[in-house]
Amino acid sequence: MAFVLLVMAGITACDEDGLLEQESKSNLTDASILNSKAGFDSYIVGLIYQFREEWQASDKTYWTQFYNTDMYCSIENVSQRFNWAQKYTSVSDFAETYWNWAYINMIPMTNNIIHYAEKNASIWEDDAEKNAVIAEARFFRAWTYNILANLFGDAPVVAEIATEPRFDYTRDSREQVYALAKEDLEFAAQWLPETTEQEGRAVKAAAQHLLTEVCISLGDYDEAITSASNLINSGLYHLMTTRFGNYSDQPGDPFSDLFKDGNFNRSSGNMESILVWQIEEYTEGGVGSYGRGNNFVRGWAPFLTKFKDPDGVSGFIYDPSVAGTDTMGRGAGFVRPSNYALYEIWENDWNDMRNSGYNMRRKFYYNNPESAYYKTQWDVSHAKTEEDTLKIVYPYSLKVEGPLFQGGSGRYKGRTKKDLYVIRLAETYLLRAEAYLRNNQKDKAAADINVIRARANANLVAESEVDLDYILDERARELMTEEPRIRTLIRMGKLVERVRRYDMDPTSRETIQDYNQFWPIPQTAIDANTGAVLEQNPGYSK
Amino acid sequence: MKKKRIHGDGLLHGLPKIYRTMKLICMFMFVALLQVSASSYSQTTKLNLSGRNLSLEEVFSRIEEQSEFSFFYNLKQLDLSRRVDVEFKNKSVEKILNRVLAGTNITYTVDNRLIVIHKKGETTGDVGWLQAQQKSVSGKVTDINGLPLPGVTIVVKGTTQGIITDTEGNYSLMDIPAGATLIFSFVGMKQQEIPIEGRNIINVQMREESVGIEEVVAIGYGTRSKRFVTGSVSSVDMEETKSILPNTNVGQSLGQIAGVQFVGSGRPGQSGDILIRGQNSLGTSSSPLIVLDGIIFEGSLSDINVQDIKTIDILKDAASTAIYGSRAANGVIMITSVKGTSTKPVIRLNSSYGVSEAAKWLKLQSRDSYIQRRIDYHKQADDQVDVTNLANLLQPDELENYNKGVFNDPFKDLVSRQGCLRTVDLSISGRTERVNYLVSGSFSEDKGLIKGDQEKRITFRINLDTKINDWMTIGTTSFFSSRDQSGITPSLYDAYRNSPFGNFYYSDGSVKFNPVDNEAASYNCMYDYELTDNEEKTQNLFSNLYAEIKIPFIKGLSFRMNYSPNLEWHNDYSFMRQDQHITGNNTQANKNIEKQFRWVWENILTYKKSIGNEHDFDLTLMYGRNHYELDQTLAEASLFDIDNLGYNNFSLGSQQQTNTYYAEKNGISSLARLNYVYKKKYMLSLAVRRDGSSVFGANNKFANFPSVALSWIASEEPFIKKIEAVNLLKIRASYGANGNDAISPYQTKSLNATTHYVFGDGGAATIGVIPETVMGNESLKWESTYASNIGIDFAILNSRISGSIDVYNKTTKDLIVMRTIPPTNGYENTYDNVGEVNNKGIEFALNTVNIQQPKFQWSSSFTFAYNKNKIVHLFGDIDGDGIEDDDIGNGWFIGENINSYFDYEFDGIYQEGDTDIPSHSEPGYVRVKDLSEDGDIQTDNSDKKVVGHGKHPDFALTFSNTFNYGNFSLYVAMNSMLGWEAPFNLVNPSDKGRALNTIDAGYWTPENKSNSRPSLTYTNPLETNWYFSRDFLRIKDIALSYDFRKMESTFFSAFSSFRLTLSVKNLYTFTNWIGPDPENCGDGATSNQGSDDLFPMPRIYSLGINVSF
Repeated sequence: MAFVLLVMAGITACDEDGLLEQESKSNLTDASILNSKAGFDSYIVGLIYQFREEWQASDKTYWTQFYNTDMYCSIENVSQRFNWAQKYTSVSDFAETYWNWAYINMIPMTNNIIHYAEKNASIWEDDAEKNAVIAEARFFRAWTYNILANLFGDAPVVAEIATEPRFDYTRDSREQVYALAKEDLEFAAQWLPETTEQEGRAVKAAAQHLLTEVCISLGDYDEAITSASNLINSGLYHLMTTRFGNYSDQPGDPFSDLFKDGNFNRSSGNMESILVWQIEEYTEGGVGSYGRGNNFVRGWAPFLTKFKDPDGVSGFIYDPSVAGTDTMGRGAGFVRPSNYALYEIWENDWNDMRNSGYNMRRKFYYNNPESAYYKTQWDVSHAKTEEDTLKIVYPYSLKVEGPLFQGGSGRYKGRTKKDLYVIRLAETYLLRAEAYLRNNQKDKAAADINVIRARANANLVAESEVDLDYILDERARELMTEEPRIRTLIRMGKLVERVRRYDMDPTSRETIQDYNQFWPIPQTAIDANTGAVLEQNPGYSK
Repeated sequence: MKKKRIHGDGLLHGLPKIYRTMKLICMFMFVALLQVSASSYSQTTKLNLSGRNLSLEEVFSRIEEQSEFSFFYNLKQLDLSRRVDVEFKNKSVEKILNRVLAGTNITYTVDNRLIVIHKKGETTGDVGWLQAQQKSVSGKVTDINGLPLPGVTIVVKGTTQGIITDTEGNYSLMDIPAGATLIFSFVGMKQQEIPIEGRNIINVQMREESVGIEEVVAIGYGTRSKRFVTGSVSSVDMEETKSILPNTNVGQSLGQIAGVQFVGSGRPGQSGDILIRGQNSLGTSSSPLIVLDGIIFEGSLSDINVQDIKTIDILKDAASTAIYGSRAANGVIMITSVKGTSTKPVIRLNSSYGVSEAAKWLKLQSRDSYIQRRIDYHKQADDQVDVTNLANLLQPDELENYNKGVFNDPFKDLVSRQGCLRTVDLSISGRTERVNYLVSGSFSEDKGLIKGDQEKRITFRINLDTKINDWMTIGTTSFFSSRDQSGITPSLYDAYRNSPFGNFYYSDGSVKFNPVDNEAASYNCMYDYELTDNEEKTQNLFSNLYAEIKIPFIKGLSFRMNYSPNLEWHNDYSFMRQDQHITGNNTQANKNIEKQFRWVWENILTYKKSIGNEHDFDLTLMYGRNHYELDQTLAEASLFDIDNLGYNNFSLGSQQQTNTYYAEKNGISSLARLNYVYKKKYMLSLAVRRDGSSVFGANNKFANFPSVALSWIASEEPFIKKIEAVNLLKIRASYGANGNDAISPYQTKSLNATTHYVFGDGGAATIGVIPETVMGNESLKWESTYASNIGIDFAILNSRISGSIDVYNKTTKDLIVMRTIPPTNGYENTYDNVGEVNNKGIEFALNTVNIQQPKFQWSSSFTFAYNKNKIVHLFGDIDGDGIEDDDIGNGWFIGENINSYFDYEFDGIYQEGDTDIPSHSEPGYVRVKDLSEDGDIQTDNSDKKVVGHGKHPDFALTFSNTFNYGNFSLYVAMNSMLGWEAPFNLVNPSDKGRALNTIDAGYWTPENKSNSRPSLTYTNPLETNWYFSRDFLRIKDIALSYDFRKMESTFFSAFSSFRLTLSVKNLYTFTNWIGPDPENCGDGATSNQGSDDLFPMPRIYSLGINVSF
């Protein structure tokens, strides 16, 4: 009977509903983190992590921003040229990857910061403190929407926090997307700090730079010019014209110093660095979720180790334990610069600093001691197959080379530990030049371009020569491997035209269609949106 | 019925005379002691007997014919040829015998109904010391209803001494050792072994075999005679299974039951996937609930020592499972462990040893085809490579190995090894008047076919049940298990890709990272295996502590309280040592420490009442709570300069990181159940359970699960009873509801994870917070399954043919699904309650005794199960076209199986000259059907359809046979699963021009125009998958055993069991599946480039021994 009494006591003593309540014990919710300054700070660090994930979440996706353009082609296998009908479809994974990165990783975080910063206004000392936090969120929201509008055209605008799942999204016009970005950037340019101790975070100049581009897209050229001028005239930045940084005592030039390990951040003395993706080896958070450092050598550098000398012996070896063989890293030739990028744009002035031996590798020396050709120069006559010059040996930009990434995964060859520019002052000049040109101020456009060319000791351009194509050529020279080329081309409406004109891959030139001017909307997004039709871009399968 | 007389001939023959004599004397002494009761029948029974010139034997025979007397005598000793004339009327047997034996040296002794004829004077002598060891035993054998069972064979174990029951079911055995065991057997009935243990009278109730209709089965919060069970319950007699297959496992035993699917990989320590009556749920677990000795057990089946299990009962229909409401929608597996059966302690030893080999490996390129494929690729690619020069096809190190004749099949030559299994199990069980006990311990080691894939297991169990006094019993069933799965396997993904001409080790014996120097995409499959130290252990301590009280004042009322704590530790530590051949520091150590603690607390009140002979009630009330918590620590350290302490000293790593996680889940349950039996043939069960679970939204914590079941034993009706061939006919019908809360806690909330970022150069890590990709849903509620079941149990022809047929229809509503949502919500998916899924099926089980001869028996068991799974509703007709919408994003289609594959329909290969090749394809590419008939193949969904379904088969069949011949028995079991497909995309050519290996599945060339395989330049522009049928028929088990007890040997007769078994598992599989095994196809077969799921199925040869005494 004692048991029965015990049971009865047990039943009546407890509050059943209370027993079944659940409070997450070891995970924060948005509401439980975005209620203190420290919480906002950690959340913004998370946002910056997601920002880098565009590049660092996978080994290859970021290259889709470069190849199949006038400047680069994709040579996975020589036989498989790029067929747009095959590769650009609603089930192409890169479209899904970008769409999901934007809408899942980036935009909700920015909306949450904006929402909770206002909701929990009492935690801030003043408006300036609150607005600085909101400004950083709005910068990254604009950054993301700008990419969406550049790649996909029209896109759903989501600017509120999510409360319950919706299935009825529709696409807003490209102009509306740019308009939101513009509004965000105007706010960000006002409230972001001019500089930051935490290099890698957004600063005022980043907002001003991006505002320039967004205003061009909206046709607001005056505002674009104003914004760029505010940045250029701020006194905080200038192009680097003298040697600086870690490798300044070694042979090189000011341009090559810009791309040396340790020279990307402002604290190195680099006055044209505005926004940088940070890479660090041997430190938690030093790389993104793919976990293997800067993969640009792998992407851009040729697959030298595949080359056989005329005797059939490997001509180039990559072996970190053999001195001298590791300077080049190990390329895999996924992003092959076109003849346009390697030759045509330099024909005007072959002595352009950006084409110097410190910045472009055009000569190759056999490095395999086993080869009879050891230490002699590679010659194009040694090439036997199409692949040999398309994928295995070709000139490339030395911007991609650097000390090998070790970290916990150092054995994965083909990665460096270098940071990567997201925004560099030189591009601001080129954006302002574009705005001037579009605003019929060709002289000023030429002047801005000449700032860039002067630093490179290149022949100056005449006002009469400046047109949009020239600006694209100059961008190619200055921003090779830096500028996500396809976004620029789609933004300017030049993708189809320039692929047909410059793409080295004949299949690509022949198969591109006018509708490829925008990326396809991912089929997964269309399929999940069961409550309304999320329209596909015209030309792609419905 | 003709009486069978056992002649003494042979029983005592051959023994030394003195021994023989003493045995008889001993018997007489007992007869004398029992004189009071024994003489009553002989004195009250009056006989009539008349005849001329009858032999004494004929006289005895006539007496037997008209009475219950049996005669016992030894023809070798007695001369019964004497002829007599008799004329008796209404005389006692003594009178008759005195008369016919007068003047001979023969006399008799009456023991109840047994009359022993013997020589005069044999009753004298000093035999006192024998009295304790020599006995006579008699008794009555009845069936479950108490009716006498004539013709039952009773044999003294280890001898040929025996007798057969008479028409009244009586038997009597004399002159048997006091410690003997009697074996009772009868066709169609379960053989019983009963130790005498000093008793003189042993009454036995026989139960039917296989159909088990009279068995007691666990039904949840109590047991019940199977006869009166209203729901669909199947049972496995593990005692029998274990004796047939010494190395059996739980999952495999369950697979023999109609309606239970067991899909296993055959890998060490993998408990496999068990599914009862189809998949109800889209997003939550479909695993059945395990109830161990009456209490819910949420650990792994791998923790339970199969040798400790006595029976497994499967509750399949909703009415049976409704009493476990919350988690029971996927069926319930009730496991009952072994208990003590005799006062003499039974010591049991079971051991087996086996070796295994791969039943099939995935076929990789051979030495020549590897090169030929390269040649064909360059030709097709038309890339100007001079294919006549091997140097252009192979990397330098590959070429060197080719020239040296070095070639590895990475599967067969690198990652695999000889597998072996061994188990030893020892137990002691018994009972005393107040205590029933079992203590067992076991050790097993299972070394899989892949290096590092292994498990060592130790288990201990104590079952203890103590009767404190007349009204109170306390006890426990507890076990501890420790499983050691240390070791990591080589990467099968890489083994698939590694060049067969690669160098896997340096000349100093250390492992290389890239087998081919210039092929950086190919990581040596052995690399992590060779450099990593790993320790992975799971320890589980489970206990059920109970007290049962018979409430003294109210007859039939009892109360039971269960408290069952379960503590599980899991630790997984690994350390990667420095690779001496690289410059960077690659050392890294991880520790994952997990503690899970669960408890269940139940209070059960039972009231049993019979009114008259016709009404039997039992009422059960239960109130209980349950709790689960997970406490996890994940630590990581890297950059060890001193690496000799491995994962045991993280402070030697200059970079460290720690994560912790904690979660808990709580539940509240209450239950009421009423069972009513009318006239022992009409049964009704009513139950309702109310469950609350913390995992649901604030307003949806509780749900009610009612059920009703009826059954009718038609064979008890007079009109059927008179049909002799029908032994049993029972009809059942039930309807009930179940729930499912098998989701992780906190799914009602959107959660965040932590990450890091390093700002600037050389800085420290800064903490960042990022949202998880699952959106919280505050209105999440119970998933409920409503199921009806109609079943028939039958037994005919002396129960030599028996079986059951069940038909069911299950509808699951408000399915908890992990639903893909538009990314624009900011999340990838959310847990949501949507739609409706239906499972309909039929199950058929048939057990037959095909041949029942004294020396040869053959019995068979056949099961068949069909389950049709389909989605009935999802979100309704959102687009308003009058047809309910599919959810392509999630792969859910109205009217189709839950696990459907939506894809283009394969239609061969485009050939040169075809005129309808779309712009994205070319000759050698896959041709798909233009289902929309718009003349083009679209990349949206218009040309796709559901091309198959997988994960679970539609049909599952098993067929097992047991042959007994003398001391040998042979068991042959086959199983088959039909009606399922799976993608296997390794058929797609990938990395053709590189030093990477691939499957040898053929390819299209302009010369060899395959219509089933693509060309080597195929790029799969439509992202379509390759589907293959997973149908198979497997010769699952063959076991040959020899029972030494049946030998005429005093040595072996001392044992109650002594059996040797030779068996082979997975002997052969008939299938068209292209991968290593159709059952273990993995979900990773959607990869183009290799998969970590390419484990072969082991074929195991073992020798087992089973001894008890």
